[in-house]
Amino acid sequence: MLIGIDVGGTYTDGVLFSEGSVLLSVKHPTEENDLEGTLLSVLDELLARAGRADVRRIVLSTTLVTNLLATGRGERTALLLLPGSGLPFSAYRISPDTYFLKGGIDFRGRQIEAPDAKEVEEVLKKVHDSGIDRVAVAGKFSNRNDAHERMVEDRARSLYPHMDVCTSNEIAGRLNFPRRAVTCYYTAMTMREWNRFADGIEAAIGARSPRSDVHILKADGGTTTLEASRKRPCETVFSGPAASTMGTMALSRESLNAVSVDIGGTTSDISLVIEGLPLYASKGALIGGHLTHINSFAVRSIPLGGDSRVYEESGELRVGPMRLGPAACLGGAEPTVTDAFNLLNGLGLGNADASREKLQAVAGRLGVSLEELCGKIADEVVDRLERNIEEMFGLWEDEPAYKVWEVVHRRKFELHRVIGIGAAAPAIIPMLAAKMGVEHFLHRYSPVANALGAAVARPTLAVEVHVDTGRRTYTGSPGGLKGTVEKRSFQLEDARELALDCLKEASRERGLADYAGEAHVYLEEQFNVIRGFTQEGKLFDVGVQIAPGFIHEYKGVA
Amino acid sequence: MKPTGVIFFPAFDWAISPTHPEREERLLYTRDQLFEEGIMDMPEVREYHPRLATAKDVSRVHFCVPDVESRVTEAHMVSAGCAMVMADAFMQKEVKNAFAIIRPPGHHAMTVVHGNRGFCDINNEAVMVEYLRRTYGVRRLAIVDTDVHHGDGSQEIFWDDPDVLFISFHQDGRTLYPGSGFTNELGGPLAHGTTINIPMAPRTTDEGIHYIMDNLVLPMLDEFKPELVINSAGQDNHYSDPLANMSFTARGYAILNQKLRPDIAVLEGGYSVETALPYINMGIIMAMAGIDFSNLREPDYNPTRFKESAKNMDYIRSLVTHQLAAFREREKVVEANRKEGREYYGSSRGIFYDTEYLQEEQRLDLRMCPDCCGYRRISSSCVHHSGRSYSVFCISLPAACCPDCAARARQDYEDMKKKPGGDYLYLQDRIEDEYKTFETRTGRETTL
Ligand SMILES: [Zn+2]
Ligand SMILES: [Zn+2]
Repeated sequence: MLIGIDVGGTYTDGVLFSEGSVLLSVKHPTEENDLEGTLLSVLDELLARAGRADVRRIVLSTTLVTNLLATGRGERTALLLLPGSGLPFSAYRISPDTYFLKGGIDFRGRQIEAPDAKEVEEVLKKVHDSGIDRVAVAGKFSNRNDAHERMVEDRARSLYPHMDVCTSNEIAGRLNFPRRAVTCYYTAMTMREWNRFADGIEAAIGARSPRSDVHILKADGGTTTLEASRKRPCETVFSGPAASTMGTMALSRESLNAVSVDIGGTTSDISLVIEGLPLYASKGALIGGHLTHINSFAVRSIPLGGDSRVYEESGELRVGPMRLGPAACLGGAEPTVTDAFNLLNGLGLGNADASREKLQAVAGRLGVSLEELCGKIADEVVDRLERNIEEMFGLWEDEPAYKVWEVVHRRKFELHRVIGIGAAAPAIIPMLAAKMGVEHFLHRYSPVANALGAAVARPTLAVEVHVDTGRRTYTGSPGGLKGTVEKRSFQLEDARELALDCLKEASRERGLADYAGEAHVYLEEQFNVIRGFTQEGKLFDVGVQIAPGFIHEYKGVA
Repeated sequence: MKPTGVIFFPAFDWAISPTHPEREERLLYTRDQLFEEGIMDMPEVREYHPRLATAKDVSRVHFCVPDVESRVTEAHMVSAGCAMVMADAFMQKEVKNAFAIIRPPGHHAMTVVHGNRGFCDINNEAVMVEYLRRTYGVRRLAIVDTDVHHGDGSQEIFWDDPDVLFISFHQDGRTLYPGSGFTNELGGPLAHGTTINIPMAPRTTDEGIHYIMDNLVLPMLDEFKPELVINSAGQDNHYSDPLANMSFTARGYAILNQKLRPDIAVLEGGYSVETALPYINMGIIMAMAGIDFSNLREPDYNPTRFKESAKNMDYIRSLVTHQLAAFREREKVVEANRKEGREYYGSSRGIFYDTEYLQEEQRLDLRMCPDCCGYRRISSSCVHHSGRSYSVFCISLPAACCPDCAARARQDYEDMKKKPGGDYLYLQDRIEDEYKTFETRTGRETTL
């Protein structure tokens, strides 16, 4: 048996899943100040239903880190930057406690300027004296050479052993220094709280269901073990939308181009699925106004939902964005989008007479018939969703391209289906799909898609190696990856093999070894380094990943 | 404040040959630097997606022999398309200025194209200029070519166009490819003085180049009053460039762009792929976006390393005085040329294509029109790389063509069709935005 629990901002959803069926689903309001308590109360109900049966795997998606970062309640954390030459230091407005250090590395990992040990010690003393004991260290091109970051870390650890120190090369290995600095800063800021939470959960689940593996859902729709999450708490942000998207994919299960529309009360969340894989935000997750190196789904949230109020203003029909309460048919005071679809499609939701009465009043003010009004509201809702979906296609098609081939074979999004989730989806999605000329997909498990998605999501892991045969080194992502290459005749196949080996190693470390065989190559670039007219070496960038998907025992829903 | 538009197209899958300066690696470290700095994430910068130029876009400028498809690589079509993307972003006021960091380059490509010259198939800036004119009704522009090589392609294309002020500063043609760009090259008889060359001695420094900027380039722009300023932003004046011998720095390039304030900059040459390009490209973006660049420097930068010699400063001062006078005389000279009352002004020359070792022979006749800058008739022959020999005849109407010239040019084309001599006959009708090719052997005509 499997358990998935999604601790959302308003509600916490949990499912007990076995052999293609949801045996039990549980929904509790989320107690914001006691996430652990909420989570355990849901878990206890699910475990009670499971009885003596083994629950093999429990996957949790929580808003703990998201909340800490979004509300600015994270503890004071110092950010030590080694930016070297380039943008002015004023460009890095990340932490109020930012210190700049000497030291420079270039794009091939060569030292341009050495760090100054005395300066490092002075800065660490200042940090310590101002009562800060969490430190993030980030240097430009530290992903190509981590020596400077390590030097600062070593000084900090030996002088102030109580400090928590994170270095950016360990958090992310990709290019983009500001994103790496932000991600490292957020990691240092939340690590202690996350570990406290992980300790609590580990103990509580250990007592209740000692044979269950505990996994955490990440922003990229994959899971990681609770243990591995301790080093990278930031990866758990935005796991709620990821859970929903994974849930819709688990239900629809086809390698299609799809758009998933989660229609809630006040907002609709739109995400794209391309050939069966959810689309990531191209610039990484945006947290607290800063871009990060955290892979998260590209989700567009628009202020339009089933409970959006419908009213007349200066002779014009208005739909949303405000929500004043539930639909009239469900006892609300104002007519809503749901009321209009209720009448239009004869859904028989709640008290249809209330829908009719409240909408009639608006129709009267606009001087149109009730049928016309419902039609207009439906058109407006469908148009707005469609416009947003088209814009998302456009943005995806317009991503920068760096190769001739990519421009000549320009990508074009061809939609196959619209997947609906959320309470209002059955009313709206069929019309939207019909307008866009594609099929729609709704499932009876849609209301618990998020918890189901968490329950059956498999681990994900991406590894990118950067090999410089001229300098005989390789470095890479996830952070901390480095080594030397000896072979003179190192080729692309060798780089691919190296990347796969690194992925295997990383997946062993993280307890994901079962899935290492499912990795595929998603990035391959090679460049000849020519000086004068002779070749001095080669540069390779190879990326391999275990993409988002489902655990082996998941074979679809019955 | 609006952002600066940037399009970065490094053509990572294209090279002239594996060890050629125009190879995949050229913008690799620039990619690393730009991405690591995260400059595309800044609110001051907006990144754009490339597109392909069409055969028609190219035909507004060039006569590709035998046609665009078989003459121009896809990489060049993307490069030109990128410049057009920047033109759109600027004209539609999405950005305050725009920088196309693209390869392959274009400023050595001339009107007639038989092959690749100086790494260029087609002229990115010229394709963009005619696109700007056609789409947005722009007429007067200035192109400032800051590549170390003379922009001989751009010069030739706009030679007879008095509405384009083409300024090129470069290392003296006696010491560097393509061996042209001397002070006496000032433009055609009806566009005299709107081509200005500034040949510099090898090892000229920031100081010398900024003296030229302040005392010649900026005053000329002030007086010419172009609607748009384009920087042909080659980066091979850098002290570390392997193909040239100048002493310009990344900061020097940034300050140059701060002074010049180009509306659109388009990367041209620059082959110091590790030591110069990453830093110069950063510097130009920062200067254009108004980001403080005082913390930007090359790894081996030393502010006291290069000192301008007194002798070179004397030369530069006299060069500036001389060229400013030539520029200010331009209207007088054009008027005198018109008064000569010749119907056509003819000239002949040979053009060398260094990349493929081709030699083109060309004859050009410009109509000395009393009302406009005149239309051009070009006959050209060349043995291509394939061994096949082509002889073609081209008729080109300027964008600001008078009705009389337009009628005569079209009549010329019809007459030539009846008694053709060469392999192909072309009509470049910028007024109707119609580009005709007539194949003599088959009698087939195609129109773009
Ligand atoms: Zn050049
Ligand atoms: Zn005329």
